[in-house]
Amino acid sequence: MMKILAVSIALAALACGRGDVGHGPRVVCVSKQINEFLYDIHAESVLVARDLTSVYPPPIKTLPSVGYHRALSAEGIVSMRPTMLLTDGNLGPDAVVQQVRKVGIPVVVLTPGSTPDSAQLLMQRLGKEFHHQAQADSVVAAWKQQMSDVLRDSTKWAAGRRPRVLVMHFGQMVNDYLGLKRGSTADQLIQWAGGVNAIDSTGGMLRLTPELIAKAAPDIIIATDVGFDRLGSAAKFASLPGVALTPAGKSGHVYRVDETEVMYFSPRTPAVLRKIADWLHSRATSPAQP
Amino acid sequence: MGGDHAGRMPVARRSDTFVYLTLALVLLAALVASACLGAFTFTPARIASYLAQGAGWTPMREADTLGRSVFFQLRLPRVLLAALSGAVLGVSGTLMQGLFRNPIVEPGLAGTSAGAALGAALIFVLGGSTGALAFSAPLGVFAVPVLAFAGAFAATILVYRISSSFGKVNVFTLLLAGIAVNAVCGAGTGFLSYVARDPQARNIVFWSLGTFTTADWRGVALVGVCFAACFAISIGYAKPLNALMLGEDEAAYLGSDPRRLIARLLVVNTIMVAATTAMVGVIAFVGLVVPHALRMMRSSSYAFLLPASALLGATMMVVVDIVAREVIPPAELPIGIITAVIGAPVFLWILLRDQRSGSSGYYG
Amino acid sequence: MVERHGVERPGTEKRGVELRDVSFRAGGALILDRVSVRFEPGKLNVILGPNGAGKSTLLRIATGLAHATSGDVRYDGEPIAGLASEPLARRRAVLSQHVELAFALPEADVVLMGRYPHYGRVPTGYDLEIVNRALELVGMEDKRDQPYPTLSGGEQQKVHLARVLAQIWSDASAPGSAQAQRFLFLDEPTSGLDVHYQLHILKVVRGLLSPGCTVIAVLHDLNMAFEYGDHFVLLERGTVAVNTSDPRAIPAEVLERVFRVRARHLQTQGEDTGLWRFEL
Repeated sequence: MMKILAVSIALAALACGRGDVGHGPRVVCVSKQINEFLYDIHAESVLVARDLTSVYPPPIKTLPSVGYHRALSAEGIVSMRPTMLLTDGNLGPDAVVQQVRKVGIPVVVLTPGSTPDSAQLLMQRLGKEFHHQAQADSVVAAWKQQMSDVLRDSTKWAAGRRPRVLVMHFGQMVNDYLGLKRGSTADQLIQWAGGVNAIDSTGGMLRLTPELIAKAAPDIIIATDVGFDRLGSAAKFASLPGVALTPAGKSGHVYRVDETEVMYFSPRTPAVLRKIADWLHSRATSPAQP
Repeated sequence: MGGDHAGRMPVARRSDTFVYLTLALVLLAALVASACLGAFTFTPARIASYLAQGAGWTPMREADTLGRSVFFQLRLPRVLLAALSGAVLGVSGTLMQGLFRNPIVEPGLAGTSAGAALGAALIFVLGGSTGALAFSAPLGVFAVPVLAFAGAFAATILVYRISSSFGKVNVFTLLLAGIAVNAVCGAGTGFLSYVARDPQARNIVFWSLGTFTTADWRGVALVGVCFAACFAISIGYAKPLNALMLGEDEAAYLGSDPRRLIARLLVVNTIMVAATTAMVGVIAFVGLVVPHALRMMRSSSYAFLLPASALLGATMMVVVDIVAREVIPPAELPIGIITAVIGAPVFLWILLRDQRSGSSGYYG
Repeated sequence: MVERHGVERPGTEKRGVELRDVSFRAGGALILDRVSVRFEPGKLNVILGPNGAGKSTLLRIATGLAHATSGDVRYDGEPIAGLASEPLARRRAVLSQHVELAFALPEADVVLMGRYPHYGRVPTGYDLEIVNRALELVGMEDKRDQPYPTLSGGEQQKVHLARVLAQIWSDASAPGSAQAQRFLFLDEPTSGLDVHYQLHILKVVRGLLSPGCTVIAVLHDLNMAFEYGDHFVLLERGTVAVNTSDPRAIPAEVLERVFRVRARHLQTQGEDTGLWRFEL
């Protein structure tokens, strides 16, 4: 009896020796997508800090922010005494990664890839890392089911004429609107929803001038939150130079999405797809609803 | 030494030593403050303990590994880089004002900083493309400083050539040429940041306003070595620089070779400024304000100004860095913005004070 | 400095400044045409001539600042073309017409610059003493700490004169090269100054004349030149029109031609004053 007690106490003592602060992982995550996934799999308790733009789901805002993910400071991150810095690779300045590593804190880079499948793999990786495999598996399973359902439906959206869609994101660093090109996540959503990207080229984002917007001549414009909110309403957005000359602007078919809904694949994607498809295929009926 | 000759000395050398000591003490205080403050707060005692451990005088303590790592890997390089950059920019401003015999000259105005920025931006934006890799890969981690040198040299030589095309260095033309070269380099850097694809754009925008965030020991070594060498060379030319105040002809009559002096010191100055710009980005006003303040405070003699502007420039930059870090934590303000906010009013104040004291047109 | 007036020791043919067949061509124009002239020590040698005659160029070549296209310049028989800048600066000083100094240095610091060719990093007690004595010689010692830009034009020029004197200061008590010849050039040192300063400077300069020092001045005021000078060289379009020690030997026609004026001697009570009166 005493031996078992002694061994148990010894094992417990060993277990307590692990981890810098001795109370489990402390993660600073500067990726919107990964933060959202952590909440999805109920592993959010590992988080101790986030970046400025991670504001979904709303409870994350109670966590302290270490700054804009492209203008980070190693010291600010390290002062949270994390056991890990977690990122999807999109962070800056580049030297921050080396600096955090130099201080002895591991930096884990998990790239989400460009398909729902790779995003799901990311979620499962997170589950494994933070011992929430069961939750991750169940979320992914439901997600896969919903995706296959909606993709089945999407075949009927693709029949008929494909409306031209322009996704306009507001780049705060450049203080200008950016259009998402072909090959981006938003572009994939448009295609599945039965539309076609009004921008011809492939790549990342295109800096939009009024002329480029007019030339793209979209039937539908989807604007992300910051860019839409600075105008305030679809009517005001439709009166932007360039936009006013497009079919979308003239008919008022300007819609608002949250950035987090179209920039990466997540369990919300099936619902977002249906929403977008709805906009694309019932546009004959009503003007935009924010 | 003629220190005690009849109690009357043209230049009071003992008071100069007193001024240097005061400046050094202020710098030391600023360094300690900067080392203490930040996302991690250290007490001076803690810092002393870290330094002792680092020097091997006391054994490493396990308990505070993180704090010690942060201090040696992040905080200390940053503090030293700020001080060294400030020293470089202060001395550079003094040198250029001496070479151009004009109090309104600094490394930015003569195109040196802008050229360095353009060179570095080229690597940031194009360095990844296959054509450029063949060139930049062998340079490895030195690609940025080397290109910055190249850019700064090209800009400075262009400015120098334009302004000395008739055999003499014409100060007026030099300033105009500097403005033109600045415009071209600025347009080039702006163009690069516009066409840059996302990852590169991150680097340019952040760096072009000046930052010490990415300070590491390599940067400290590079700027430190360049500063030490260039300062040692410059201080030997204090007398000819003074003579140059009278004009090139007078300087020649007093036994120096003004054109060679100008060429040499421009090269030395360019090396310092390019190394600093490559590491910390474009920072203005330090080279303008520091020599002015010292002239007002004390003396226009270069034997005094050169070492004093190193000390005062270092102090100014260390203080600016503290402000950058402490105003909106954990985010940081760009350094260039702070130096402009501090520097422009100080400059105006200097001008107003000159006017009020009735001494129009002279400085000091 | 020991004061002597116009004394020349025998056997001094090589002493002084000599220009041999000096020509200077720039941009296709011949500015000086085979000028040969000798300036002897112990005299106030004066170069005269209208603007464009080549006086400044002649001075720049004679001081070693510029190189002649052909011909050479010799100091005490030794060509200066091969001399290094600093040793030359220890023997030769130039007072320019106007020195632009935009920075506030105390007067004494400006004068100390004259000693730069003589010391390395730090001035010696002797250097500082010379600065004091030079300031006394020009009468500016009571303003030694005053910032240069606050002085009047005439005072500033006196400071430069003190600087230039400090540069070639020669003392009987000086260590070493007390025998070396000195060369002092003055380029229109009085132009633009009040009469008081003009006369003061010329008086100081005359007081410097000695067998150890060759003084050459470019002066624009003819009468002042004739009154204070000992030897005169009149330049006309790059050539020497007159080269004489006797101002009265200069024919009026020459002055009239060179300066494009009418010239005649000024007489008072029937006596020739030695001064000229000029009219258009």
